[in-house]
Amino acid sequence: MSRLSIVLFLLTVVSGTAVGATPPRMIEETAGSGISHQYTGGWAFFVGGGVAVFDCNADGYPDVFLAGGSSASALYVNASSRGGVLSFRQSTDPVTDMTDVTGAYPLDIDGDGQMDIAVLRQGKNVLLRGRGGCRFARANDDWTFDGGKAWTTGMSATWESDQRWPTLAVGNYVDRSKPGSPWGTCHDNSLFRPNAAGTGFAVRHRLTPGYCSLSVLFSDWNRSGIPDLRISNDRQYYKGGQEQLWVVAPGKAPRLRTVQEGWQKLKIWGMGIATRDLTGDGYPEYFLTSMGDNKLRTLAKGAGRPTYKDMARQVGVTAHRPFIGTDVLPSTAWHAQFEDVNNDGFVDLFVAKGNVEAMKDFASADPNNLLLGGADGRFAEAADVAGLASTEKARGAAVVDFNLDGLPDVLVVNRRANVQIWRNVGRGTADHVVPMGNWIGLQIQQPGDPNRNAVGAWIEVRSGTRTQRTEIVVGGGHASGQAGWHHFGVGVAERLTVRIQWPDGEWSPWLRLFANQFARISRGNTEARLWLPSQQAGGQ
Amino acid sequence: MWEHVVSWASRSNVRQLVLCCAVVAGVMCASLTTRAAEPTSGLAADPAVDPVIGDERAVTYHPDHAQVAALPVDQAIGIGRHLFEARFTRLDGVGRPAATQSEIPTRRVPGNFPPFFRTSGPEANSCRGCHNQPSVGGAGDFVANVFVSDGISDADFDSLDPQFSNERGTVAINGAGFVELLAREMTRELQAQRQAGLQQARTTGKSQRVALTSKGVSFGFVTLDPDGFVDIREIQGVDHDLVIRPFSQKGVFSSLRQFTINALNAHHGMQADERYGAQWTGTPDFDGDGKAKEISTGDVTALVLFQASLPTPVRRLPAAPVLRAAVATGKQVFAEVGCPTCHRTSLPLTSSIFAEPNPLNTAGTLRPSETARPALLQLDRSGFEKNAAGQILVPLFSDLKRHRIADEDHPYFANELLGQRFVGRDVFITPRLWGVGDTAPYGHRGDLTTLREAILQHGGEAASARKAFEGRPRADRNAVIEFLKHLRLPTGSAS
Repeated sequence: MSRLSIVLFLLTVVSGTAVGATPPRMIEETAGSGISHQYTGGWAFFVGGGVAVFDCNADGYPDVFLAGGSSASALYVNASSRGGVLSFRQSTDPVTDMTDVTGAYPLDIDGDGQMDIAVLRQGKNVLLRGRGGCRFARANDDWTFDGGKAWTTGMSATWESDQRWPTLAVGNYVDRSKPGSPWGTCHDNSLFRPNAAGTGFAVRHRLTPGYCSLSVLFSDWNRSGIPDLRISNDRQYYKGGQEQLWVVAPGKAPRLRTVQEGWQKLKIWGMGIATRDLTGDGYPEYFLTSMGDNKLRTLAKGAGRPTYKDMARQVGVTAHRPFIGTDVLPSTAWHAQFEDVNNDGFVDLFVAKGNVEAMKDFASADPNNLLLGGADGRFAEAADVAGLASTEKARGAAVVDFNLDGLPDVLVVNRRANVQIWRNVGRGTADHVVPMGNWIGLQIQQPGDPNRNAVGAWIEVRSGTRTQRTEIVVGGGHASGQAGWHHFGVGVAERLTVRIQWPDGEWSPWLRLFANQFARISRGNTEARLWLPSQQAGGQ
Repeated sequence: MWEHVVSWASRSNVRQLVLCCAVVAGVMCASLTTRAAEPTSGLAADPAVDPVIGDERAVTYHPDHAQVAALPVDQAIGIGRHLFEARFTRLDGVGRPAATQSEIPTRRVPGNFPPFFRTSGPEANSCRGCHNQPSVGGAGDFVANVFVSDGISDADFDSLDPQFSNERGTVAINGAGFVELLAREMTRELQAQRQAGLQQARTTGKSQRVALTSKGVSFGFVTLDPDGFVDIREIQGVDHDLVIRPFSQKGVFSSLRQFTINALNAHHGMQADERYGAQWTGTPDFDGDGKAKEISTGDVTALVLFQASLPTPVRRLPAAPVLRAAVATGKQVFAEVGCPTCHRTSLPLTSSIFAEPNPLNTAGTLRPSETARPALLQLDRSGFEKNAAGQILVPLFSDLKRHRIADEDHPYFANELLGQRFVGRDVFITPRLWGVGDTAPYGHRGDLTTLREAILQHGGEAASARKAFEGRPRADRNAVIEFLKHLRLPTGSAS
């Protein structure tokens, strides 16, 4: 090993930086985006503030449904030009303009090929059926879905084997009706399985005990083929609580993982869950946002036991306090999402931050984080250089390529401040985009299967000697979810091969693709189908 | 060593670690700076600096792209020539003990690697070492064959066994500038046809099956659906992104720049910063040879300009009248048996201005958006005819399309065991026959000593043309050979 290489390595260890990771430049385009929206309200809306991102008019461009809290929720249809400034127009409709909305997740519930929306509320949750053309209809009655009246803040979905309808997990927060609220009065969470007739949902199954959850996620942590339900809970209000992992096996009542099984007690102010296989071992890591230091959970004893250890400090993602400014108090983190924003092939991590409201023991000027993944497996802060270090009270967010130029953009929902949106211009400027690494956008489908978008499948993207893996999930984040193109950065690789492990465990063949394009992989097809965006959202 | 350092670092107190590393770094830096006779920076000073006594570097000046683009083009080409002929040394950064020959930065597995490794590289001191017949930039003898493997999954044994690599002859670079320009124009045309079909599909609401044709060459069909999805199953002879990649025997590289960066790493262990630098690898010295920034963006630009400017092949009629007559007859027979189906006599080119970098380059190969200005080179088109539309007729004798060239009856050209970049073992791009009279031996392995053998081994899509050739009288067949023999490379390397 050369002396230069030893010095470089030691400097890397000392500095804690991901050597070489180049941040993209994010241009804030809030003012001209057409989005005028805030998440407002009192204590009931200190949490939540989510966004659902999905294509509601089949033009391939992602559209946006925003929670409003005490203000009405809002649907914004993408009007951007390809590679151009970000532009949206509001689509007003009493169906989508609801108050008391805390968050939302897109998914195709009835398997008709149209994206639906699971709308979470302080009060009755609503399932909206997509009718195409960004029109929706309330479907609680048709789908026999009991929206309840709890304070709902999280949601996740999975398709259990041989079921035509998904199983929905709904995460609830504090039960304000109980005496002594909010201290120790957490609401139970809920599980909705398909009814026997196959026409909708059965009666609600309580997931007891609830510990004031703020994020729930079905995820196959051990690649067994059956996802467990991870619930992240806010220790602020629970008594005797912890993080939870539920076994939801087909045909069986759900049960909690136990200490004997290896599940260890972890108490955090759980706000959001993000997941990605970071270590390359084929099993997902979980980033849990919290107040103070965030957690990055990785299997400690192999896939046989749900025992996790923390690697956040090791790789530099604790993001425990503001990294700029003079505020030295702990941060409050909400939505988190793994995405390769500079397309260098090493996934990055975006964390939305903001004080709960006026908690004096926590940072008040709390900038968002953009932690860039590097070749050495570590992450380095770059939100300030990238232009994302807003100190608004961020809540939900989405890192999505809104203008289909291969560069993921960022949208953040703020409490009592306008939604912010940034366009990724790579290494360029607002007028001259300079692309960074190569990329691929993938759409994964199971034609004819009720789980059309292959929730629960694993995508593997191989370039050179590296294989990136991610699980297709509905849920997690902070009251925020997205459906649509699965984005991967592949660095300098011009070609890549992709395969899918479908939800039932069957593998696709390796499919060959060139970088810098969009492609659909359909189960049963031996070749991917390329997709060419229109120059303008809307199809023309 | 790595494991010990990492485990020690993870257990130590942070302050102690910082102090210790600062001491180590200081010692290392001090030792480096005392060795003035062996500069380690890849970005050596410009020529105005006093020369270093005892300096054995082959290259002392590494400009960036902007600097080269600002130079008079002859000067830029001169820098490129120097680099092409330079016999790189360890001081320049020759060698890649920690990296493979892969075009994607890839770590070598630990082991013993001699400085030169005949089959997986580095195996050449200079570009000229192989590209030298009949002059700099030309083809190479069989002894100059290379062994192509991806450096990702292939084991790098020092073995000629074809299960580990594909053995390839060294082709002439003459005329490559025109070839790249043709490829760019053809790519634009094909992608425009696809886009027009998509627009039509969206407007009519009906799928459109579009014929892909450029410069008279058919590349099959593509079907566009109104929702934007593309059926690529009928595409022929080109990758599904419709990018014409004219370089290498299989036609898998789109630009001289891409090929140059790959070759510098594979054959010399000289790593271009735009591909192997810190922004992509996390370290400025990815190949672990103690040298950072070995090849700058300007180095590559200069090399590309030199290669693009190499004089194009010529026609040189023999002196004897009987042979001249045979050339004329051979030209006619060549056409009659169907050779130009693939070996197109010429392809029309609209613009002969070579702008570097190529707009089709992807990350890791300098792109126009990453530069303030391109380097421009007017290619020498004197001697080329023009068509009625005023386009230059580039006489390359190729359609720049990939074909299956072997079958069960004639399997010779399917000798390779490894595919390359998504291209099957029996598929190759139509070789450019201009200059073929000077590029013996023949075949992609360079193991056929005569043109006649190469013709007789044609199979697959070329079977009918081969049969037609075989069916002609001996005199006609000999005339074709004379015709091909008169397609020569220029003897000098200055355009």
